[in-house]
Amino acid sequence: MINSNEIIDDIANKEYEFGFTTDIEMDIAPPGLNEDIIRFISAKKNEPEWLLEWRLKGFAAFKKMEFPKWQHFEMPALDLQAVSYYAAPRKKKQLNSLDEVDPELLATFEKLGIPLNEQKALTGVAVDAVFDSVSVATTFKGKLKEMGVIFCSFGEAVQEHPELVKKYLGSVVPHTDNIFAALNSAVFSDGSFVYIPKGVRCPMELSTYFRINAQNTGQFERTLIIADDNSYVSYLEGCTAPMRDENQLHAAVVELVALEHAEIKYSTVQNWYPGDKDGKGGIYNFVTKRGICKGAASKISWTQVETGSAITWKYPSVILQGDHSEGEFYSVAVVRNKQIADTGTKIHHIGKGTKSRIISKGISAGHGDNSYRGLVSVGPRADNARNFTQCDSLLIGNQCGSHTFPYIESRNKSAMIEHEATTSKIGEDQIFYLNQRGIDSEKAVALIVNGYVKEVLNQLPMEFAVEAQKLLSITLEGSVG
Amino acid sequence: MTSDMILPFYQALTADVTALAAQVTVPSTDAVQSIRRKALERFTAMGLPTLKTEAWRYSNIQRYLKEFPYELLNNAAPVAPTVAQQAAIPELDCYRVVLVNGHLQADQSTLPEGKGITIGAMSAYADAPGFVTYFNQQHHLETESLAQLNTALFADGLYIELAANTVLDRPIHVIHVYSCTAHSFIQPRHLWVLNRNAAATIIESSVHPETTAVAFANSVVETVVQENAELWHYCVQQGEDSFREVSTTAAQQFKDSRYHHFSVTLPGTPFTRNNTSVALNGSHTETNLNGLYITNKHQHVDNHTFMDHIMPDCNSNELYKGVLLDDSNGVFTGKILVHQEAQKTNAFQQNNNLLLGSKADINSQPQLEIYADDVKCSHGFTAGQFSEESMFYLRSRGIGEEAAKALMVNAFSHDITDAIHVPALQHFLQEQIAEIMNN
Repeated sequence: MINSNEIIDDIANKEYEFGFTTDIEMDIAPPGLNEDIIRFISAKKNEPEWLLEWRLKGFAAFKKMEFPKWQHFEMPALDLQAVSYYAAPRKKKQLNSLDEVDPELLATFEKLGIPLNEQKALTGVAVDAVFDSVSVATTFKGKLKEMGVIFCSFGEAVQEHPELVKKYLGSVVPHTDNIFAALNSAVFSDGSFVYIPKGVRCPMELSTYFRINAQNTGQFERTLIIADDNSYVSYLEGCTAPMRDENQLHAAVVELVALEHAEIKYSTVQNWYPGDKDGKGGIYNFVTKRGICKGAASKISWTQVETGSAITWKYPSVILQGDHSEGEFYSVAVVRNKQIADTGTKIHHIGKGTKSRIISKGISAGHGDNSYRGLVSVGPRADNARNFTQCDSLLIGNQCGSHTFPYIESRNKSAMIEHEATTSKIGEDQIFYLNQRGIDSEKAVALIVNGYVKEVLNQLPMEFAVEAQKLLSITLEGSVG
Repeated sequence: MTSDMILPFYQALTADVTALAAQVTVPSTDAVQSIRRKALERFTAMGLPTLKTEAWRYSNIQRYLKEFPYELLNNAAPVAPTVAQQAAIPELDCYRVVLVNGHLQADQSTLPEGKGITIGAMSAYADAPGFVTYFNQQHHLETESLAQLNTALFADGLYIELAANTVLDRPIHVIHVYSCTAHSFIQPRHLWVLNRNAAATIIESSVHPETTAVAFANSVVETVVQENAELWHYCVQQGEDSFREVSTTAAQQFKDSRYHHFSVTLPGTPFTRNNTSVALNGSHTETNLNGLYITNKHQHVDNHTFMDHIMPDCNSNELYKGVLLDDSNGVFTGKILVHQEAQKTNAFQQNNNLLLGSKADINSQPQLEIYADDVKCSHGFTAGQFSEESMFYLRSRGIGEEAAKALMVNAFSHDITDAIHVPALQHFLQEQIAEIMNN
């Protein structure tokens, strides 16, 4: 049997495989955060006046706020003035088809395994690729258009569907929500926009791929998904970044709006660069994600697999406003080396008969620190609300930490709330059982971890479940308890 | 940290530090005075808790502090023996200690006597070895501003020390009488030390004689359970309308020791906050924290627990159950901290609530903070209603709705009452619960 210390060293020394950089001509704004840069971004993107004003309001709110102090990790010193707030692959001319996209860029996405090429897109997934802060290509546009589905970059949506953007932007995550949301409101550069019209079931998975490439930039994208009455959409985002010594900030905002009987399924496979084994470099992933089930019997489901980032700090939330609406949160968070994850969800039960389900699986290895922080609140109107929460933590090695900080608030006597959390390591008896059936310890751990996270991975669309499974086995390679 | 609303009270507390310190010279050793000074500094730095203080986010203590201009009360008003009698538990064969505002009333008490038993007023034992070693040593007290206030300003309390191998033959019933003629803020302070292989059962109750004056007790009990010693510690809280209470229990356990803590809060006092913390300074210990709160009207009960697993191979169990009637509020915060050295820890925590009142609410924060890998830790929380099937079962057998409810509450609280190892106390509480549910 391999010595567990050696194995932990192995995990620590495992290289990040998406750490390459792409040499490409970029438009990069000078570093610094001020009103001029906001005007510059807005002008660059040819935005209407109201949006610029909204950005400036966000900036005003940002200036008044301070960094929070309640998180379970030491807040890194962030020099927001040293960050460049706009970086985009230089456009030579207006692009009409993928053939005109910079081949270097296409090669990058090829390396990442993102099928931008439409012929290759037999997988049936429409992709919007966001490189640094700008959406570079969106596939399958035509087919989606036929059904009335709008899937485009945020910038394009502002130009072509300003009424929708104006109506819903900031309606779920207001610009005053928290300091990172305020910052994002001020400087967001691009992102994805999805609108599913009434009664349409989106025929394919929609996917956005985020990549931070340039040095000293932050990525501040904004995603807005609106599912109109009786519609359905499944959306996936994936993220990678090159290896750099310094930390880069990713402060995105995602807003989901589900109207009557609509369903939104949002899945994330997050694999930003986690920093090296000493905790040097890596992405600070400080994202605000929130959905609102506005209409009756609507449903929002978050699924996340978090394996990357130096610090992951996000709480994808659901506001269950419509009667009988439903919220779900499935999460796997893996930390190793000196990674930190402080993640969880907030579910607000407001409407009658609302239901929610939270399944969170944390895995800590090396010197990683993993926290689940969540809120389940049931308002006085939410008769017969129902919540089930389960958060389990798995510890690998004795240098890591695992924490659970749930908040439960019930103001309704007919509500039923259940919460349970467990923390343990992989049992020696479990490994022994598999050993005596001829499975070596390493494979046994992989098997046990796989079983442990299965409940969450099952929620992912099939192609991504396979990807996520691979990602997990790479991340935890050789971790025998 | 302190909002403007309670500023006058806060100013009164902190304005003249020397004057306040001068008021409370007993017990008066230099060591104690120095501890008091430090505590007062810490309290002034922290201020009184507000809703923005994380540990107090669900308990609005300001509302009660600003209710009246309180006076700090440090002496005992004479109280008739019949008052303490109100807290008597029928058929309980016990020693009795009566304290009025923290001051021992020897004439009303029956103290245990014998070799190895030291019991008396804190003020008389400031030089005792147990006092010198353990007073104010439980480090969790440092983070709680009201405990610091108590350390700075306490006048007296009950000191118990059992020498090694001393086993008390009967429980000690400690009756706290809070008596005042003007609205008063009272700071009793107790220290109970069980040395190696000692064992004791201590039951606490409190009485506030019917007056119009409101008593606010901010009490601190420190308990020390040394190697292989065992302490059963019961707190029965059945106050009156004119009583508010913040009760801090800070326990330290050493190797192979057992500590069983019960807090039972029944209707009465509008505001109760119990801070219960246990520091495990030795391995192979067992800790049971049990709580039962049955609340009515606008009552607010907050149980705040902290299990600090410092050493390996320790077991802890926490079970808190609540029945919330009328418009009452329950709060439960339970933190289990497992240090990196504390391998082979088993720590379990459970909080179950029955919301029966239409405006009753519950806020719960069960927390696990774990830095060791070879551990088994879990916490669970539920809030809900009687199961309809059970109700239907009882109704179909001709049991009225109210009676069925009472029966179910009785069954619900059984997990706690059943673990009580003093039969007289167990019967007493079961009867109390039945009576509450029948009204």
